[in-house]
Amino acid sequence: MTDEQVLGHADECDGIEEFDNPSPTWLNLMFLGTFVYAIFYFGWWHVWGNRSQAALYDAQVAAAEAAAPPEAKVALEVTPETVAAGQKVYTANCQGCHAADLTGATGPNLVDETWIHGGALEEIQQVIANGVASKGMPGWKPIIGEAKVNQVAAFVYDRSHQP
Amino acid sequence: MTATHPEPAGNAEAQGRAPSSVAYDDWIVKAFVVATLLWGFVGMLVGIYIALELPFWPANLDSPYLTFGRLRPLHTNAVIFAFAGNVLFAGIYHSMQRLLKTRMFSDALSQIHFWGWQLIIVAAAITLPLGLSQGKEYAELIWPLDIAVAVIWVVFAVNFFGTIAIRKVKHLYVAIWFYMSMVLTIAMLHIVNNLALPATLTRSYPIYAGMTDALVQWWYGHNAVGFLLTTPFLGLMYYYVPKTANRPIFSYRLSIIHFWALVFLYIWTGPHHLLWSGLPDWVQTLGVVFSVMLWAPSWAGMLNGLLTLRGAWTRLRNDPMIKLWVVALTFYGMSTFEGPLMSIRDVNSLSHFTDWTVGHTHSGALGWVGMAAFASVYYIVPDIWKKKLYSRDLINLHFWLGTAGIVLYVVPLWVAGITQGLMWKDLDASGNLVHGAFMDTVRVLLPLYWLRLLGGLLYLGGLVVMIYNLVKTVRGEAAEPAAVPAPAK
Repeated sequence: MTDEQVLGHADECDGIEEFDNPSPTWLNLMFLGTFVYAIFYFGWWHVWGNRSQAALYDAQVAAAEAAAPPEAKVALEVTPETVAAGQKVYTANCQGCHAADLTGATGPNLVDETWIHGGALEEIQQVIANGVASKGMPGWKPIIGEAKVNQVAAFVYDRSHQP
Repeated sequence: MTATHPEPAGNAEAQGRAPSSVAYDDWIVKAFVVATLLWGFVGMLVGIYIALELPFWPANLDSPYLTFGRLRPLHTNAVIFAFAGNVLFAGIYHSMQRLLKTRMFSDALSQIHFWGWQLIIVAAAITLPLGLSQGKEYAELIWPLDIAVAVIWVVFAVNFFGTIAIRKVKHLYVAIWFYMSMVLTIAMLHIVNNLALPATLTRSYPIYAGMTDALVQWWYGHNAVGFLLTTPFLGLMYYYVPKTANRPIFSYRLSIIHFWALVFLYIWTGPHHLLWSGLPDWVQTLGVVFSVMLWAPSWAGMLNGLLTLRGAWTRLRNDPMIKLWVVALTFYGMSTFEGPLMSIRDVNSLSHFTDWTVGHTHSGALGWVGMAAFASVYYIVPDIWKKKLYSRDLINLHFWLGTAGIVLYVVPLWVAGITQGLMWKDLDASGNLVHGAFMDTVRVLLPLYWLRLLGGLLYLGGLVVMIYNLVKTVRGEAAEPAAVPAPAK
């Protein structure tokens, strides 16, 4: 520090002087290191690694499907078991639009007298499974699977047919 | 170049003060300082309000004008373009006149710049709560306002480069280079990102479609961070740190190398906002690697600032302005390490869309931009108003309120973000989401949101202390004669 010389620019820099120290070695190495990383990261993805987002997605889905236990079949029927299971599915997926007490919000009321697409158990199940695209209701079968669709249909049927 | 050579001697007297023939335009600096403090207070207050709405939604009072979705862009626009923008203009008009030893090129252009910019801010504060928005983050303003911004920016640019053209020195100090990068790049980013076909007075359609639009948006969005909140603030750092510490800059050559490395690498990093999206894989990869390569040039700026303070370390104990700069530079280093980290695909798949991003933004915004702005203004006000600073103890209080506020803001959001990311990725044995409802994560995060609100309140409290201190300064006693450069000999 004792042999540091200022450059003598102060006249031109409102009195601010400047040393001309070299950049710290570790910083230079870090800079070069990130360039090496960049080359390898690019190569790993696009040259020798030949990775792609789409292929990674397919591999993950395939792995998940291979690991998943086969889905238990659930018959479409109103039993205390299907209703209880359906309630959990409803809480997780449906109450955001149809409200916790099923009286509707963004989506229609499910416990009044009116059924837009039919109130039979099979009709309710079809609407849940396939959705009503024009009204913003998604088809749930590809999202939660047939078993859960049947359970939540049983739950909705049960609640809408209370005495 | 029209630059004339400086008079060889005599100019350096009194630490580079202007020769008596130059009358600097200090009114414009004062105006931008006042605007900085006013809009800083408003913008941060709106931030506090929406931070309250997150854990306590009834705070929106059932009014559409006060919902999070409308006030959030008001907060971001106010703190970025009104608070940070005005403090940059204050610092630039203050330092460039002194560095170039000349009054601004045109007082009229300075005035148009000031009043035009404030009018745009007022218009933004009206249109955004009304729900008038382009829906592009940090580019929400509707097309008539975008045109106004472009016109005012060009006015500023003409004045800026005009002043460089009429300068009385030959050398361009590094701070001027950093300012220049802002003036040029922000003009380019703003105009290209806002190209749109107007449909009505308040609505327009971007000329780009789909993914292209998203890519242009984030090319703009990230470089607004780069060329508004980073490079010109480094310019302020290169002027006010050596001035405050009264020390020479650590390294001239490091300042040149990191300037060019920074501006060259920064402009490519936008795609890191669109990882795991429909953007072509190779473009995403470019965004990743350029972000990682930006790490060292960013740290070079931090080091050049911190190492300039060598020999002034003892003052760290009792000079609150040095403390503000040390915290600002440290947070700059912290967030420019965190940014490249979050740009790597595997980290990003956890951090993206979570509160970690918000925490990262605020460690840069509150830590770097805010603290650097405060430190600069504490230097400018006594210098321009020629008054003695009212209280160094109050600056110290501001320092502690601000620093504690940042920690209480950022740490809870790290925890919140990582929690959120892990919960979203949690799958059960059959591959279904364990936490399928968004509400599941919100419930877990509520205590952390209250903590972040507390952090924000402390930070705003610091600003209030600052405003009080500066008002007392301006109304207080004049600076001691010794501080005023007297024609010696």
